[in-house]
Amino acid sequence: MPVDPLLQGLVAGFAVEAQEVVQKVTMDLLELERDGLETDALAKLYVRLGRHLHTLKGSAASLGMQDLSDIAHKLEDALAPLKANPQKMPRPVVDILLHGLDLFMLRAQAHADGRGDALPDPAAALAQLVADAPPPEEAAAMGAPAGNTAAAEAAAAIASPPPSPSPSPAAAEPEALAESADSGWRVSARQVTSLMREVERLREVRLRFEERGRELDRVVTLLAKQGLLAETAEARSLLAGTARTLRTDGEETGDIVEALEEGLKAITTRPVRTILDPLQRMVRDLSRQLGKEARLSVVGSEVSLDRRLLEKLQGALVHLLRNAVDHGLEMPVQRERAGKHHEGALTMRVEQQGNLLYLECADDGAGIDLDRVRKVAEQRGVVTAEETARLNDNQVRDLIFRAGFSTRTDVTDTSGRGVGLDAVRASVEALQGRIEVASTPGQGTRFMLTLPVDLGSSPVLVVRVLEQLVGLPMLAVEATQLARADALRLGKRRAHMEYQGQLLPVVDLGARLGLRALTPPAEGQPLLIVQSGGKRVALAVDAVVGDRDLVIRPLPSEVRDVPAWQGAATLSRGELLLICRPDWLVSDTEKTQVVAQRRALVVDDSLTARALHRAMLEAGGFTVHLAASGARALDRLQTDTYDVVICDLDMEEMDGTQLIAKLRERRETAALPVILVSAHDSAAARERGLAAGADGYLSKRECAAGRLLAEVLDVMSRRGNRA
Amino acid sequence: MKVTPRTMEEAQETEARELLERRAARLREQGETAVEEAVHWIAEFPLGEERYALSLETLRAALPLKMVSPVPLSAPHVVGVLRFQGQVLAALSLASLLGGHGWRQDPAVLLVVDRGDGELCALDCEAIPRPTTLPMSAVEAARVRAEGPVMEVFTQDRQLIHLIDLKRLFASRGTGGRNAR
Repeated sequence: MPVDPLLQGLVAGFAVEAQEVVQKVTMDLLELERDGLETDALAKLYVRLGRHLHTLKGSAASLGMQDLSDIAHKLEDALAPLKANPQKMPRPVVDILLHGLDLFMLRAQAHADGRGDALPDPAAALAQLVADAPPPEEAAAMGAPAGNTAAAEAAAAIASPPPSPSPSPAAAEPEALAESADSGWRVSARQVTSLMREVERLREVRLRFEERGRELDRVVTLLAKQGLLAETAEARSLLAGTARTLRTDGEETGDIVEALEEGLKAITTRPVRTILDPLQRMVRDLSRQLGKEARLSVVGSEVSLDRRLLEKLQGALVHLLRNAVDHGLEMPVQRERAGKHHEGALTMRVEQQGNLLYLECADDGAGIDLDRVRKVAEQRGVVTAEETARLNDNQVRDLIFRAGFSTRTDVTDTSGRGVGLDAVRASVEALQGRIEVASTPGQGTRFMLTLPVDLGSSPVLVVRVLEQLVGLPMLAVEATQLARADALRLGKRRAHMEYQGQLLPVVDLGARLGLRALTPPAEGQPLLIVQSGGKRVALAVDAVVGDRDLVIRPLPSEVRDVPAWQGAATLSRGELLLICRPDWLVSDTEKTQVVAQRRALVVDDSLTARALHRAMLEAGGFTVHLAASGARALDRLQTDTYDVVICDLDMEEMDGTQLIAKLRERRETAALPVILVSAHDSAAARERGLAAGADGYLSKRECAAGRLLAEVLDVMSRRGNRA
Repeated sequence: MKVTPRTMEEAQETEARELLERRAARLREQGETAVEEAVHWIAEFPLGEERYALSLETLRAALPLKMVSPVPLSAPHVVGVLRFQGQVLAALSLASLLGGHGWRQDPAVLLVVDRGDGELCALDCEAIPRPTTLPMSAVEAARVRAEGPVMEVFTQDRQLIHLIDLKRLFASRGTGGRNAR
């Protein structure tokens, strides 16, 4: 049936709107099909359903799509008897209504594509719908209680003659069309991305505003300290005024940035539920097809993500859920025999922490049978018997991601072709993400996807450990506490903290990052309760700096694979703040603790010199800690012990000889071997260094020639002999 | 007969014309006697006791070595990360990348270079490099001979320069992560 050419421009918008309404109707139907709903809730659902169907009918009619209007009208008729007497909707009726919605959308899309002319007669479509409907008495017998004829009437309504003339366009509700009539722009993703970059730059400008304001305040304070109060009064007053204006301008810029970001987010993102809701229908249809029962619960469906990412993820999620229904869940009888509910539970959990997205797809089915995986992988030539013999359980589990792997012996519509999980992994990796699987026999399987997302800013808690500032995604931080002796349990190898009736392991961030040796938390030290993936730890830091709203950018390839970091954000002075991965922080640290044999402290105010010395000493088997000044080195030596100190001679504030003098004064460090490193290569400089108490002296030239490690070993050996 | 200039201006004008004529003659002479050799522009700098260089076309910027944030648990050759024109770049120790042990002085400069795969990174350096040239033929010959990322090329005055091929250098390296502790 052709659409009036004048209205054709509106039909595409109608199809989009209709898809959203149809999705809502589908969700309501699936809800109505379930047991245990109160009569009030049922009544509300029926009313809402009726309203949505009426909207579809009216909107279609107002655009002259009579066929669609007729289908919607039929569906309304089918609903009417049940609406009058709210009850659980019989499954056959749900089937018919869902089928009717499919038909509606197929035709709506055809109209939108300009293929309305080629559509078969609407009467034929309705006849098809009628043909698919079970006999009314059968539908009633399957779903409705004895004596209740509402379900039978609903099924009969579908099979009744075509509807009476549809409402006139004028009478139809134009609400769904109101927005589709509103014309929009087509913009490329590149244009939007570049706009986002500009907003990010503006955010950085705002941070700089704040910093300039603070600098001006410092200038005013400094001027006041000079003692020339009267002479500088006017200048100070002017500067203070400028600082105030700057702050106000900064706040206004902040508001603009927020508004721009919100607007861009609305344009570029959509809630995850837009891809997860349609999966409810898929799970229902598939489980019915396989004779199983399943219910999908979604946690975090309100999280909004980049539309492009969602489109790319949809296929992977469909695969995972189909896999869970087909391979994971047992038949209802088997489940009951195993003491489980006959209806299998599928859970999709979505969580965003900073610029990382965590997606988890779990089932409470039989779990992965590792012996079977081994056997099938060998049979299918995925691995050889020798190779499987060398694999541990995790590696065997990972075989399910290999191309050509499937434990199905028969090829069905759902699975068995060995294409699926390898495609899922490929699509996740194409998004620079990763996928992992965990499974417990008899209890179920969990697939965990971690993906980077780079849209907009997110709240970050900035903490300090030694001189290093570290960012933590605020979503991962549950609480902040100060260490109290009565809440701590100190063991030989690690400390625990009592928190809400649980004992949480205490993780020293400095030690975890390799910046210092492991130390138990001191009284009053800040402890952050960090959670990720259901695990929690108490994270010990030196100070909590504060929270910031920051744009987290991906790391360059050279450091992208360091598991501790998920990205970096720009702070107000332009320096980068590294953002720590919460899942890395809560991961088991027991097995990753390194038993240090020889420990060196490198003291140098040059970042590159520290990096080079560290590289050489680590290559020689040392655990290396770094300090950027003599004062910091002394702080480190208060709590840590080292076998050797490598110290730059020419440092600001406290040079190498002054540091040695301080070390020799203290009993604990009086005999600590110290090697001085200097750019001065003269005999006089060497003599001066050794006279100051250094055990060795190396010029940078000698370091460049590879002498450092040999000198360190030599000095340690000499000190050892003397001792 | 030599014409004697009458005023100071005329004298200066004559002098300038003679200078230009001499220069033109010199250039004509060069063109007749020598065919200019193709050259490869490099950015040359000292590393330890030796002279190293990068192709000038790979150099994007030279920055003062500051505002670099260290990355704990990264590979030893990673000095840290920094922000450059809105991007996050890795600052790498060139001495460490090349298997050396250090500089004569603490590096004060970062060279932002194209790694050869379209990505940028920053390399530390003692001083701002000097732009100069190498004979193209010598570079080509060295490229054929060399298997690793560093080619030994002799300048016209027989000085040895180690020319770094960044594409080869980064292709031969893995990722920058150490085992987490």
